[in-house]
Amino acid sequence: MSWDTSTQNFDDHALRMANALLRANGGTTASLQMPPAAGDTTDAGQLGLNAPNFQSLPLSPAVFRRLRPTMSEGQPAKYELLISGVAVQATVSELQLSSADALFSMAAGVAVGGKLFLIEAVSVSESLGAVFMYRLLLRESTSEWQMQQGQ
Amino acid sequence: MQNAKDTFYITLRNRLTTVNPDRTMSLRAVMRPGILVEEAETPVAELPLDVFVLRWTKLAVDTQLPLILMQMTCEIHYVTVGTQGNAGLDRGRALEAMDDELLQLLCPASAIKMNYTQTPAAQMGTSIFWSQAILAPATTVRERIGRVATVNVFAFQEQGEQ
Repeated sequence: MSWDTSTQNFDDHALRMANALLRANGGTTASLQMPPAAGDTTDAGQLGLNAPNFQSLPLSPAVFRRLRPTMSEGQPAKYELLISGVAVQATVSELQLSSADALFSMAAGVAVGGKLFLIEAVSVSESLGAVFMYRLLLRESTSEWQMQQGQ
Repeated sequence: MQNAKDTFYITLRNRLTTVNPDRTMSLRAVMRPGILVEEAETPVAELPLDVFVLRWTKLAVDTQLPLILMQMTCEIHYVTVGTQGNAGLDRGRALEAMDDELLQLLCPASAIKMNYTQTPAAQMGTSIFWSQAILAPATTVRERIGRVATVNVFAFQEQGEQ
């Protein structure tokens, strides 16, 4: 058994490049729908009686695109959201979360361009062990709610 | 009808805190017992692990009685992958533990109906009661093993109740 013992000095070139490319390729803002820090502990909060008061948490730069041009009847369209690793890491630090996975698992959805999408899966792109971009597989919500864009 | 559904969930949730206080989950920034009503939470791509998920399905009404009797079918879904310490090889045991917990939660098979739209919750004039659980065969999807238990919940529609 062997493993790679070569020295790999991390620098943030991949992070900066991803940031620049996402910004240059139509960089938009995606807003995670996050529960309030102080959750609702009441019975009514667990029974759907109280409004969950989700808050918009903007992440940018991001690129949003449809995964397949053709749509099947009865199947909601799927989309891909590429988010800058810098933006996600800053948010994870700000909210004092353990990881980006925790951030995305807490989110009730993502609003892009005033439409709501549900997160189906999350994957990452790395360079020298550091994540420079997050890729979210999204499913279009059938609720047709108009979402407020985060500031 | 909604009061009966609310009462059934709250009863099972409160019983879970004594049957297995360690079965908890963090949902919407709140640590709470590991049971939820699917229609009262945000939609998810996959069912959460090691949690009881209540899904309300069929509804039947018997109007041949002095009070209307509602019969609601509740599917209780639960899946597990076992524990990391055992590399998931204990997933069968974990499922069996959840089976056992569920049977304890459902006994006794009745509760006084409550109205949770008021604070504090108000006791109503009748009780809800439910049938024995029918446990479906366990299903395996990749490393997940899960089961659906089906319970019929009965409740009388009281005057003025929606």
